[in-house]
Amino acid sequence: MRGLKNFRLALRLLARDWRAGELRLLAAAMVIAVGAVTAIGFFSDRLNRAMTYQSADLLGADLRLTSPEPVPPSWRKEAAGQGLRQAETLEFASVVVQAEKLQLSSVMAVGPGYPPRGALRAAPALYAPDTKTSDIPTPGTAWVEPRVLQALSLTIGGRIEIGSAAFSVTRVLTYEPGRAGSFFTFAPRVLISLADVAATGVIQPGSRVNYSYLFAGTDADLARYKTWLTPRLGPNHRLLDVRDGNSSIGRALERAERYLGLTSLLAVILAGVAIAMGARRYSSRHFDMSAMLRCFGATQRDIVALFAPQFLLLGLAASALGCALGWIAQEAIFYLLQDLRPAGLPPAGVAPVAFGFFTGLIALAGFALPPLLRLKHVPPLRVLRRELTPLPPSAWIVYGAAAAAVLVLMWRYTGSLLLTAGVLAGSLAAAGALAALAGALLTLSRHMHRHVRVAWRFGLTNLWRHTRTSIGQILAFGLALMAMAVIALLRTDLLSTWQTQLPPDTPNHFAFNILPQDVAATQRFFATNRIQTSALYPMVRGRLTEINGKPVTQAVTKEESNNEALQRELNLSWTGSVPPDNRLVRGTWWETPSRGKRVSVEEKLTKKLGIELDDELTFSIAGEAIRARVASIRSVQWDSFHPNFYMIFPPGTLEDFPATYLTSFHLTPDQKSLLTSLVRGFPAVTVLEMDQVLAQVRVILGQVTAAVELVLLFVLAAGFAVLFAALAASLDERFHEGALLRVLGASRRQLRAAHFAEFAVLGVLAGFLAAIGTELIAYLLYTRAFELEYSFKWPVWLAAPLTGGVLIGLAGYFGTRRVVIQSPLTMLREL
Amino acid sequence: MPEYPNGIIVSAARLSKRVDTAEGALDILSGVNLEIKTGERVAIIGVSGSGKSTLLGLLAGLDSATQGEVTLAGERLDKLDEDGRARVRAGQVGFVFQSFQLLPGLTALENVMLPLELAGITGAEREARERLARVGLSERLSHYPRQLSGGEQQRVAIARAFVMKPAILFADEPTGNLDSTTGARVIDLLFDLNQEHRTTLVLVTHDENLASRCERHIYLDAGRIVDRR
Repeated sequence: MRGLKNFRLALRLLARDWRAGELRLLAAAMVIAVGAVTAIGFFSDRLNRAMTYQSADLLGADLRLTSPEPVPPSWRKEAAGQGLRQAETLEFASVVVQAEKLQLSSVMAVGPGYPPRGALRAAPALYAPDTKTSDIPTPGTAWVEPRVLQALSLTIGGRIEIGSAAFSVTRVLTYEPGRAGSFFTFAPRVLISLADVAATGVIQPGSRVNYSYLFAGTDADLARYKTWLTPRLGPNHRLLDVRDGNSSIGRALERAERYLGLTSLLAVILAGVAIAMGARRYSSRHFDMSAMLRCFGATQRDIVALFAPQFLLLGLAASALGCALGWIAQEAIFYLLQDLRPAGLPPAGVAPVAFGFFTGLIALAGFALPPLLRLKHVPPLRVLRRELTPLPPSAWIVYGAAAAAVLVLMWRYTGSLLLTAGVLAGSLAAAGALAALAGALLTLSRHMHRHVRVAWRFGLTNLWRHTRTSIGQILAFGLALMAMAVIALLRTDLLSTWQTQLPPDTPNHFAFNILPQDVAATQRFFATNRIQTSALYPMVRGRLTEINGKPVTQAVTKEESNNEALQRELNLSWTGSVPPDNRLVRGTWWETPSRGKRVSVEEKLTKKLGIELDDELTFSIAGEAIRARVASIRSVQWDSFHPNFYMIFPPGTLEDFPATYLTSFHLTPDQKSLLTSLVRGFPAVTVLEMDQVLAQVRVILGQVTAAVELVLLFVLAAGFAVLFAALAASLDERFHEGALLRVLGASRRQLRAAHFAEFAVLGVLAGFLAAIGTELIAYLLYTRAFELEYSFKWPVWLAAPLTGGVLIGLAGYFGTRRVVIQSPLTMLREL
Repeated sequence: MPEYPNGIIVSAARLSKRVDTAEGALDILSGVNLEIKTGERVAIIGVSGSGKSTLLGLLAGLDSATQGEVTLAGERLDKLDEDGRARVRAGQVGFVFQSFQLLPGLTALENVMLPLELAGITGAEREARERLARVGLSERLSHYPRQLSGGEQQRVAIARAFVMKPAILFADEPTGNLDSTTGARVIDLLFDLNQEHRTTLVLVTHDENLASRCERHIYLDAGRIVDRR
């Protein structure tokens, strides 16, 4: 009963405080914290879904399971039970026959519902404009890639044979979801109906075939199914989702997610600091009330029972408002992005709202509880001796509570307690070091103050007179400036990385099977038609058979024995210089002469197969064994759309083997018709069109870019909340001192100058600390989290102190304007 | 009103208060003995720094003594912790301070309602309105302290002190912040209400004139009782 009465009283007190304006700062800080987290949450949730949706277009599914044999029917039944849409495909290599001509092709038989995501594109004739289609080949018909038509001198309507079945070619296949990844290795595609496979008679026990099961559904259904399926997978099964499907998109998505996560975490920390400052001010403005209540007979428990529900209610109300604000903000952002966003964008889920509330309450508990608990320690004697204030809560409690709150929130983002604790411990140590430095800088400013005019001297004196408060403010301002700087820097560098990743002239077509005798003529063709090309690389097909004399299947782990690189022939090349998208990680290139044969191997493959420098690899090329020592290991940027190779030999090793050449080139839409001339002029050449894939990748990168641009605003909002809170926290004292100074004859001008000086110096010092922190944090983030190249951020060392000085100086100047506008008597009466 | 042994509502025996300062220990009060009976009006008189406010704080249980015993409303305060002392104060003790101690965020009415609300008493608003009417502030109910004059603020504080019908009222220099005319009016009101409620009054002042309205006078100098009349 008493609890209920206390609660009712708490409600009334809350309403009275609200009306008196005591809660505005705290509430604003909370609304910003929750608003930022919720908006970013909604935004990344929706965008992620949209991007995943688009990426799924490229993969043809949300989830793709491949297997060399049919999977147990129960697996498909389970997927159906989980509500997933699914389709089955069967891929095998087969010779396609037309009259006397043969073409080794990669046949894919597709079942109903294919593809569950994205769509096939097909054209009615060779190089005719293509369109999206939801059809699949009907039984007895086949859709073929242009290469097949060229190789077999076929036209639409012609007939081909696969095994013992005959098919009528009805369409030209121009785009197939999921084929973007490793297109070099595939023979040209022929698409038929799954119902026709039996009739071909091609699939016999022991045939090399590849079954794919494509699934699509909601995130939750997919996640459940993935969890169910993963433990059942054997070494021959591969499960791919959109992130594995395309490395450039996967990486961009991953970085964007990290950036969004980091941004929202920084927004929370900043807003947390604002909440702490708001709560501290609220608490100190309620010392008198607390003392009075103690006089009336309230126990310490009563005090907590009165104030805690107020904070809780305030937290809930502010969180609700923050969630609403977050929702409106992300709707506004999506409205602004309407040209970019994909059609059928999924609506926002409820998870961000829940997390918004969670964040609000955790931040409130972590940042506002210690100042709140201070209220119960107000001595009742304060009613007689006003100078009595409760002892400040122990630093352990203040920082411990804040650190615990941040830990909980960070953990949610990183998913790793160890990493989170490490980062947090590092940050606390850094904060301690920066506080010490701030103290040292303040002492330095003490020596400076003798050489300045009286108003400035008063401002500077004020700074070191309240050393502790000043250090706290410098840290708060510094933190806000640092967060803004880090996020702005990361944004700029991420955007330029994405822009350079796919420059406008990125190759969008590949030409391969260029015969050695056609190389010069092909190059002339490209030059005459002003088509930009990558370098021309020779290509010899060969199989990796042994590592250090051991057959590869024994030399590698069981899981890797199914690696594609071992199962099929590799494209081997040779070149004298390191290709432009490659970086030497270890070893040396061919500069030094060597007695034996050498090879350079791609880095990820070496890791998968356990290959080290100087290992001896054996290749089987056209029935001949070639041994070569690993001379270097390269990292390769696979998503550059330039030809790249796992294995590169020095010139003079593979020249005796039959080779063809390969290049990639960029065609503008106007130049597209040149493709016909190319394949007519060089009938052996096959062309792969990548422009659709590239366009899709560009749309996704565009969305990620926009997202990164916009979330910066939230960090800025939270940063300004901290600036405002830090300023407001010290206003009462400054009003009081200012009023007294005016009584003592200080002019308005002097007071204004003193306030500007004080805050400008605070700002410059904070900016200097922010520059140190930014450099440190940016280095860690760039090298550890975002895999970006790091360079010294010298502009920050100028911009942060300057921005800090001007911004905080002006904020202080305007914030304390009341002191000089109102009469000293009014000011003193109000305080 | 409850009965206390020998009618004594507040007493102190060998009461001392010592604080540590940069110059060493300082005795603010030394060996104070006193007894105040129910319904008495007692003035504690002394110059600034004589220890009178400290004595009031100890008698009201707002602070704890270094040595000695304090009994308030039948309870040994020196045996209780701060929360225990708060429970003794609840509903039995009223205060009027020199600096009024109104809460700036609350209106006059809300300031008076607060102790009633804290004690969970129903009809707080009606009661508070009546009290404010009694001190002549019916027209000022929704005013905030900063919108009231010093005299009006002290009248609100008096209404707040009496609203709980306390057994004992401690007043610390109640006219210290007021001009003499306003001060006199406020004191009239305080004594009238004290009369009406038959409250015990402990008044701390340096003003002999004001003290003369009390039946008993205790003179303090340098933390010791030097005279009683």
